[in-house]
Amino acid sequence: MNVVSGYVLELAQSALALVVAPGIVGLIRWMKARLQNRRGAPCWQPYLELRKLFAKEAVVSDNASWLFRAAPFVVFASTVAVTFLVPILAVPLPFDAVGDLIVVVYLLLLGTFFLALAGLDPGSAFGGMGSSREMTVAALAEPTIALAVFALALSAGSTNLGQIVTRTMTDPGGALSPGHLLAFGALFVVALAETGRLPVDNPATHLELTMIHEAMVLEYSGRYLALIEWAASVKLLVFFVLLSNLFVPWGMATALTPAALALAFITFLVKLVALAGIIALFETRIAKLRLFRVPELLSVSFVLALLAITSSFLWR
Amino acid sequence: MMDALFAQLSVLGSSAVLLFGLVTLWRRSSAAHIGAFAGQSVALAVTAAMTALFTRDWQLYAVAGMLLLLKGVAIPVLLTRMDRRFGAERELQPYLNTSASLLVGGLLVLLAYVIARPLVALSQLPTRTGLPLAMGLCFVSLFVIISRKKALTQVIGFLMLENGIALLAVLGTYGIPLIVEVGVFLDALMGFLVMQIFVYQIHETFESIDVDQLKGLRK
Repeated sequence: MNVVSGYVLELAQSALALVVAPGIVGLIRWMKARLQNRRGAPCWQPYLELRKLFAKEAVVSDNASWLFRAAPFVVFASTVAVTFLVPILAVPLPFDAVGDLIVVVYLLLLGTFFLALAGLDPGSAFGGMGSSREMTVAALAEPTIALAVFALALSAGSTNLGQIVTRTMTDPGGALSPGHLLAFGALFVVALAETGRLPVDNPATHLELTMIHEAMVLEYSGRYLALIEWAASVKLLVFFVLLSNLFVPWGMATALTPAALALAFITFLVKLVALAGIIALFETRIAKLRLFRVPELLSVSFVLALLAITSSFLWR
Repeated sequence: MMDALFAQLSVLGSSAVLLFGLVTLWRRSSAAHIGAFAGQSVALAVTAAMTALFTRDWQLYAVAGMLLLLKGVAIPVLLTRMDRRFGAERELQPYLNTSASLLVGGLLVLLAYVIARPLVALSQLPTRTGLPLAMGLCFVSLFVIISRKKALTQVIGFLMLENGIALLAVLGTYGIPLIVEVGVFLDALMGFLVMQIFVYQIHETFESIDVDQLKGLRK
C-alpha cells in the first residue's frame, strides 16, 4: 500500500470521525424522541449547539486552577488521537504500528481521568460527586475492557487492531464463535457505562442527583464546554466503531481504491445508524439503574468477558 | 465443512443455554427467573433439534419436542401460577450478594473447563467443545440452589440442573435412548410436582417461602 496515501486516509478518517460524531448523538436523540412519540429536535441540533457554545464567553470559577483550563484540551486531544488508531474505513493503515488496542483503551481512560480531575478542581459539591462516581464506574469498567479486548486479541494472535479486523474478515466463522459474541456483549455494556448512556447515566438529564457525566462538566461553559461535549460525542463514535468494526468488519476497504473506499464509507454510515437505532431502542425500553446496582451490571459484563477469554483460549 | 459448522452452532447453542443460567444470578424477580428458565429450555430444545438435524437421529427430534413442550411451556406456566399465588415476593437477601455470586458463577464455569479438559481431549464428536459449558451450567445451577433463600428460586435452580444434564447428554453422546429420556422427563416432572407441594406447605406454615425461616422449627 502506498504510504503517503495511507497517511492521507488516516487524516481523512479522523476528520470524518470528528465531523460525523455530533450528528450521531443528534440522531440517537431524534430516534429516541420519535420512539417516545415526541417530535424531537433535528439530527443536526448538536452542530448548532456546538457553534453557539464556541461563540459564547467562557466563565471560569475563581477557585479553578490551570488544570481546569487545560483539561478540556487534554480530553479532546486524547479522543482525537484515538480516532487515528481505530480502524474506521480501511485496514491495514500506517498508524497500526504506532498503537494497538491497549493504547486506545488507555488514551480513552486518560481523557476520563482528566475530566474527573477537572470536576474536582473548582471545589463544587456536584463536580466532586460526579468525579467520584465516574472513577467508580471507570475502575470497574477498565478490567472488563481489557479482558474483552484480550479475548479478541487471543483469537487473532495480536493486539493490533488492524490485524484483528483482517483476521475476522478472512475467517468469518470466527465471528460467530462464543468468544467473539461474549466479548461483544461485554464491550457493549462497558461502552454504555463509559459513554454515560442509559442504564448507568442518563444523558438527557441535567441538574439531577444521579447524574455522572453532567455533574463533572457542570462548571464548564463556552468553548470549554463545547470541546468537552464534542469529545464526548467522538468517544461515543469510537466505541461504536470498535463495536461494529472489530466484530462485524465486512465492508471495510482492504485496498485504497475509490470504489472500495466509497463502499467502506457507506457501510460505515449504515453500521453507525444501526448501532444508534439499537441504543435508542435500548434507552427507550429500560430505566436507569440505581447507582448501587451499577457495580452488579459491570460485574455481569466482567463475567461475560471472563467467559469470552476462557472460550477463545480453548477455541484455538 | 458440515462438521465445522455443526461444531460452531452447537457451541453457540450451549453458550446460550449457559447464559440463561447466569441470568438467575443477576436478576432478582421471580418473573425474570421463570423467563430465563423458559428461554433456556427453548435454547436447549433448539440445540437438541440441531443435533438431530446433523446426526439424522429422529429420536432426538422427539426429545427436542418434549423439551419444548414440557420445560419450555408447561413448567414455566406452572411456575408462574405458583409465583402469582405467593405475591410479588423478591429475592431480597441471598446468602451471597449479586456481584460476588456472579464472580463465583464465572469461576465455576472456569472450573468446569478445567475439569472437562480430559473429556474434551478424549471425545471425537464435533460437539465436544460444548461439554464444559454444559458442565458449567450444572455447577452454576447447584450454586443457585445453595445460595438462594427463596424456595421458588431453588426449584428453578433444580430445573436448570436438569437442563444442564440433558445438554450434557445431547452433546456428549448425541442423546440417550428415547425410553430412558422419557423416564428422566417423568422423573423431573414428578420431582417438580413434589417440590411444588413442599413449597405450598412451606408457604402455608410460614406465610413466606424464605427457607431460612425453617430454622425457626428448632426452637
